[in-house]
Amino acid sequence: MTKREVIRAVLEGQKPPYVPWSCGFTKEARAKLQAHFGLVGLEDALQNHLLKLGSDIGFFTDIENNKVKDVFGVVWDRSIDKDIGNVEGCVLSEPTLKLYVFPDPLDRRFFDGIPERITQYNDRFRVFQIGFSLYERAWTLRGMQNLLMDFHDHPGFVRELLNTIADYNIAQVKEAMNYDLDAVYFGDDWGQQRGIQMGPKLWRKFIYPVLERMYRTVREGGKYVFIHSCGDVDELFDDLITIGVNCFNPFQPEVMDVPALLNKYRRRLIFHGGLSTQKTLPYGTVEMVQAETRRLLEMGGDGGYIFAPAHDVAGDVPLENMLAFIELVQGQPGYGNN
Amino acid sequence: MSIIDDLRQSVIDGEMNVTQELVQKALTENIPPERILREGLITAMEEVGRRFECNEFYVPEMLVSARAMKSGLALLRPLLTAAHVEAVGKVVIGTVQGDLHDIGKNLVGMMLEGAGFEVVDLGADVPADMYVTAVKELRPNLVACSALLTTTMPGMKSVIHLLEEEGLRDQVKVIIGGAPVTDKYAADIGADGFAPDAASAASLAKKLILKQDR
Repeated sequence: MTKREVIRAVLEGQKPPYVPWSCGFTKEARAKLQAHFGLVGLEDALQNHLLKLGSDIGFFTDIENNKVKDVFGVVWDRSIDKDIGNVEGCVLSEPTLKLYVFPDPLDRRFFDGIPERITQYNDRFRVFQIGFSLYERAWTLRGMQNLLMDFHDHPGFVRELLNTIADYNIAQVKEAMNYDLDAVYFGDDWGQQRGIQMGPKLWRKFIYPVLERMYRTVREGGKYVFIHSCGDVDELFDDLITIGVNCFNPFQPEVMDVPALLNKYRRRLIFHGGLSTQKTLPYGTVEMVQAETRRLLEMGGDGGYIFAPAHDVAGDVPLENMLAFIELVQGQPGYGNN
Repeated sequence: MSIIDDLRQSVIDGEMNVTQELVQKALTENIPPERILREGLITAMEEVGRRFECNEFYVPEMLVSARAMKSGLALLRPLLTAAHVEAVGKVVIGTVQGDLHDIGKNLVGMMLEGAGFEVVDLGADVPADMYVTAVKELRPNLVACSALLTTTMPGMKSVIHLLEEEGLRDQVKVIIGGAPVTDKYAADIGADGFAPDAASAASLAKKLILKQDR
């Protein structure tokens, strides 16, 4: 089976020949791996099963002092977080869209190179990514504290903002679906270490109907829906399944009961992630990383699971710990030449 | 319902304009500012904290309540100062060096203020020596450190280490918090306490202050 077929089998509730994987790394972690693997490109060394297309966090223009501006006009300070950055300032200082013009969702840069990448990694499962896909896009424009208070103060504005963001995403998804894709992957962090940032009531009132509209576009196009939300959001899983989500990432073991949820949602929702990036990877020994990886691979042996660290691996993770899980997943019986 | 009851409810409901009106009305009726603060604003924020801890309230509700509380407090502050009413305690708060995330820290600051503390916010990406300078200059009862990332958590240990080096550790309690932070980590680095959320941070701070007074 190709990697694409293995992922499809997992999505269709079948027992795969081995547990597939798709692991992400921050720039600092990638640098450690690249130094280790030498001339081999990381895409080839990692053997990920998902081919990520589009641009999850979008495009940026350098301004000055480690600062960049995204296509929405939001300035990001990258002096510390070098991968994404931290928002500086507030593009929508008032709760109105009257003076704001959304960028072009069909900007060719989002689609450049898609056919070539598909040809190059023809055996992988193709995923078009949209990062900051709703609530996060809204707060990066409006400021997080402002937006959270807007739910109470200016509900009409919040609805308008979320729906306009959804229109932008839907236009982009429709264009992306002209390529031979398998899934669309929406990233949007709603969770915190305990519970949902805006609470389940406001999530259901404001976020859910807009998600439903975005996910419907993907399902009607015959593609799978993958989503990512950091934090403790498992109370939303039933709602997410109702509106068509097939796969949930990052499946953080510090905030949710990974084995229990995998069993509970088997054949209804598949999980991608699961390996502790808050504890085991940065602070554990190689043996601890191996033990946790083995547990996850065993758990996912019957299906419903794609292995990964529960976040892009950060720069504080020792190289040996990264290699420990990479070697185990690639050494599974049933994979490649094993 | 009395003005104080209405005031308390307006803070819980996050109705900033009503809070301001009721504080003014209470002052016009010669209710002592200290009573308005303690029975109106602080008890309201205690209730907000309780509702947050039992998942009746979430961050948006906490933010609008804290905003209402702060608007009322702003009206009372000059009068409290004139009447020599002291805060429950003083807290120096910040997100540690290398970390720019501040919403968790801001929420903790708001809840501490709502619990009657004077809060000095050093901001985000705060180097250990800046906490130490603040402790020397401001003589707080508590230092509160926040970090969202495993990569920046060690910054909390640096703060405690530098306070020890400067001989200041016995003068302040240190509390820590942030997504990857645990009770165990707090114990490992010698912090006085950890709180998993802003409401519990305010309760923890009050407990530590009581211990300090004994």
